[in-house]
Order: sequence, then structure tokens, then C-alpha cells
Amino acid sequence: MFLAWNEIKKNKLRFLLITGVLMLVSYLVFFLSGLASGLENLNREAVDKWQGDGIVLTSESDKSMPQSSMTLDQLDDIEADNVAVLGQLNAIATSGDIKANVAIFGIEKDEFIMPDVTEGEAFNGENEVIASDSLKEEGFQIGDELELSSTDEKLTIVGFTEDARFNAAPVLYGEMATFHRVKFGEAAEQNDDQINGVVLRTNDLKSVTDNEDLETIEMEEFIQNLPGYTEQNLTLSFMIYFLFVISSVIVAIFLYVLTVQKISLFGVMKAQGISNGYLSRSVIAQTFILAAVGVAVGFGLTLLTGAFLPAAVPVSFDIPTMLLYGLVLIVVAILGAVFSVLTIVKIDPLKAIGG
Amino acid sequence: MAILELKNVKKTFGTGHKKVEALKETQFTAEKGELIAVIGPSGSGKSTFLTIAGGLQTPSEGDVIINANNITDMSEKKRSKIRLKEIGFILQASNLVPFLTVNNQMKLLDNVKKGNMTKQELEQLYEDLGISDLRHKYPADLSGGERQRVAIAKALYSNPSILLADEPTASLDSDRAYEVMELLQRETKNKNTTTIVVTHDTRLISYCDKVYKMVDGDIKLEAKPVEEEIH
Repeated sequence: MFLAWNEIKKNKLRFLLITGVLMLVSYLVFFLSGLASGLENLNREAVDKWQGDGIVLTSESDKSMPQSSMTLDQLDDIEADNVAVLGQLNAIATSGDIKANVAIFGIEKDEFIMPDVTEGEAFNGENEVIASDSLKEEGFQIGDELELSSTDEKLTIVGFTEDARFNAAPVLYGEMATFHRVKFGEAAEQNDDQINGVVLRTNDLKSVTDNEDLETIEMEEFIQNLPGYTEQNLTLSFMIYFLFVISSVIVAIFLYVLTVQKISLFGVMKAQGISNGYLSRSVIAQTFILAAVGVAVGFGLTLLTGAFLPAAVPVSFDIPTMLLYGLVLIVVAILGAVFSVLTIVKIDPLKAIGG
Repeated sequence: MAILELKNVKKTFGTGHKKVEALKETQFTAEKGELIAVIGPSGSGKSTFLTIAGGLQTPSEGDVIINANNITDMSEKKRSKIRLKEIGFILQASNLVPFLTVNNQMKLLDNVKKGNMTKQELEQLYEDLGISDLRHKYPADLSGGERQRVAIAKALYSNPSILLADEPTASLDSDRAYEVMELLQRETKNKNTTTIVVTHDTRLISYCDKVYKMVDGDIKLEAKPVEEEIH
């Protein structure tokens, strides 16, 4: 640590540059992780809010809710501690000049997926809905009457709820009857037993149903199968993992060059009997200082940027994940220093002093 | 008691007709409290002798015994420990760390080994070498002579049982060179250590207890220098 710190102090510019690069890499990693978790939330936050363990859809729907169509009497085949029926439909909602892509959820008010109302009141009759508060940011208000793209029915926003987006679309929660009217129009009454799926709370997902037309899907698996969800996550994760590799290589190159420049110095020190262990620890300590400072500054910068970003940018900073990524960055930087350690071990002190 | 012993030591480089005997069969013994000079022209094998005596390389044949440790068959790791504990080097190439101040050069040694000089001893050493005012300076800010004196301070600071000096006075003017030799002599006597000075500067041999002459890898004890011859 003594050698490491004194060298940094003496060659500030050189080490500032390395720290700067590490800072930028960590900034990018943190920001991408924020974007990844923001985009994840965009897709799944409504589902997470249900706190369900699984969902029952039809077997032929291939785990896609819009494609699943079942009837209420199939509920008799489903056994779980707690069930909640769900009808779902996507539509474009228009209020005056404002348009939004929305997901309309038909639910039963007394079942567990009924959301908490954060503003206004719960739906209480025909065509009343609680809306995701992300719609509020787009300009929708309580009392707004929404025209829908697929039907003549009009919905009225009576309240807002938090964290209610499904597959990137803000959710409108309404009665099952409201959902049927929107979906089937004049044929609503003939279809009033139609639902898309059943959300479950149970410890034993396997024995929920033996009806072969139905499939029980674990909630996480259901989320993974949301359109685009897995692909998007893979892309961002791939970028983040690649950045780990890049930062490791960058540190390796920088330190290797610095080490090669100091070969004769290390040789002289080794001639004096200073051990490989001490010199190697010094290089590792130096890497640790550079990486820790770089990552810490990158971390701060990310949070600062996050505070100034417009709400439309889907970032959400998950601090434990960021801390983990920061730690990984420091570890891969230290792995990058291993090359330099190998170089130091190989230095022949005799050659270094020209003997 | 012999602190350093070279028994039947030979060093050859290369093979066949390209074979070079850098050091012919050598017997060499240094006692505690001795200041020894090895003189000879460049290329005579002085450096080879010094690096073998200091455990930086192993001989082709024979044994090197440093303070009762036979280092001939030791691993580099073990030899490195012996060097750290027993030997102080004053090298021709600067052995100072460029990013450490003079004080920190000494502190580095505190970090890697025990038994270095006390604070008062170090103060005295700085004073003797005339480098008290340089303690917060970096090697790059020192003149060649100042660097050499700091290097000497660094070698003495670790209280080595054997001090090996390769042309310690090379970049010093005559007065300073005599002062440094006096200092080495004093340190050797007071601490009962051994100092071996490799040099081609014959003016310095008056300070030495023994003088060896080296010619073409052959090391021979010269007659003890007589004071009158010098002054």
C-alpha cells in the first residue's frame, strides 16, 4: 500500500487518466443496469404488484395472456389457496388530444389482485376504471372520459394506482363486466363468463389443476414470456457483461504498460531482497485504489444523472444490484492486474542491475 | 568469524569454444569488521564476483556461504530473504525508487524488514552524508552525487551484515569520496560489519583493511596498503 499510494501521489496525471477510464466504464455499467431494471419494471411491475405465485392460462395460449381464453366454469378445475380471475385487452385510450396505449384489466373487486387506490376512489360501477399513475404524467386526470380504439364504450378514470404497467402499457383496472363490454361490445352478455386467466396464490403450483386444457405457469416464467422481455434483458445483460470484460482488459493493458516501464526498478528492489509478494501486493493495492475510486465516482455520477433525467426515460436504480456490479468491476480490474504480477515474478534482478 | 566465504567458486558463461570464465576458481573470505577493496580494470569480473557474493546469482561450481547460510542451492525466494536480511547493495545504477522522497526510501525498508537504524542513527547518517536537507526531495530533484549519497544512506540504513558497494564514489568529487570512505570505514568498525568495495579508484584503498586485485577473472590478495604510499 505504501509504494502504491506514494506512486499514485507522485504521478497524479497518469493515474487520474486510468481512474477516469474506469469511472466512465462504471458509469456506463451503472447506467445500463439502471436502464435494464427500468425496462424490466416497465414490463412487469403490474404483475409484481399482484404478489401471485403463478397463473393459469390455456395450454394452447403458449403462456401468452392475450391468446388465452377460458371460461369461469373452468375455475372449478382449479385448486389453490387464493384465486383471482383476470380479463385482459390492449387498446388505445384517447382523452381529448392525448392518446395512450393501455392494457385494460377486468378483475373482481374483492379478489387479491385489486390494486390499492393512491388517488381518487375505486371503480364502483359501469365503465369506471382505476388508472396507472404513469398516465397522470402523460396528462390524464380523474374524471377524464376515455374513448377506446376498438369499441364505442367510454371509460371514466375514477382513481389512480401506483406501479401498474404491464408489458410497457399503463393498466386500467375495471370490473369484469366493464371488460366484457369493451371486449365484446353488444355480445357482452353472451360472453360474460369469458376470462383470460386466473392468478394464483398457492404453495403447490403442481397440483393446481389436472385439466389438460389448462396450464399452470410460475409467475416468473410468465414474466419471462412477456413479449420482448427476455430478449431485452439479454441484450442489456450482454452489454453489461461485455463491459466487465472490457474494463478488465483496459486495466490489464494500463497496468502492464506501467509495469513494463518499471521493470528495472522492480529488478533493483528485488536485488535488495524485496519479495515478489510485496511488489505484487503493491500492484494489486494500486489497482484496488484506482478501481474503487473510479467506481465510486461513477456511482455518484450515475445517481446524479438519474436525478436530472426526465420521467420518460425508464431508469430505475436498484442499489443492491449496482453495488454488486461495482464490486464485480473492482474484482475484474484486480484480475486485470494479474498479468503485471506475472511480469514482476519473472523479472531477473541480476539483469535489472546490469550484472 | 568469517561472515562471507567463497569456496572453490567458479563462474562460466556459455559452452564449448565460446565458453568464458568470468570468475576463475576463487577462494575468498571476509571477516566481521573488515573493509575490503576489490580493484581491477573493467571487464575483469568484478561485477560477477560482487553479484555472486551478494547472492544475486549462483556460481557454476563451489559454495557461497553468507553468515553461515550456504546459499548455493537455495531457491531465489530464499536467497531473496537472505539478501534482505544480510546484505546491503550500493549499485552503480541508481537503486532509488523515483516516486519516493528520500525519507520514504528509508521507510520502504521499514515496511519490508525489521532491524533498521533508529531515528537518531538515521539523523546522524543524514548528517554524515550531508543530505539532511534533501529528505523531502525526490531522486529526480537531486544531483548525481546527492543521489549516490542517498543510495549509500539507504544501503547503510538497513544495518546489513555485509555491505557490497559497486563504485560507491564514482559520481563524487575527491573530498566527498574520502568522506564517504571514512563513513564506510567507521560504520564497518563501529557495527562490526563487513564492507566490500569494488572500485578502480586506487586512492580509496588506504581506507581498506585488505585489497584484492582482480585480473581476467582471477582474484588475488595484494599486500596490505601502507599509509605512507598514499599520502
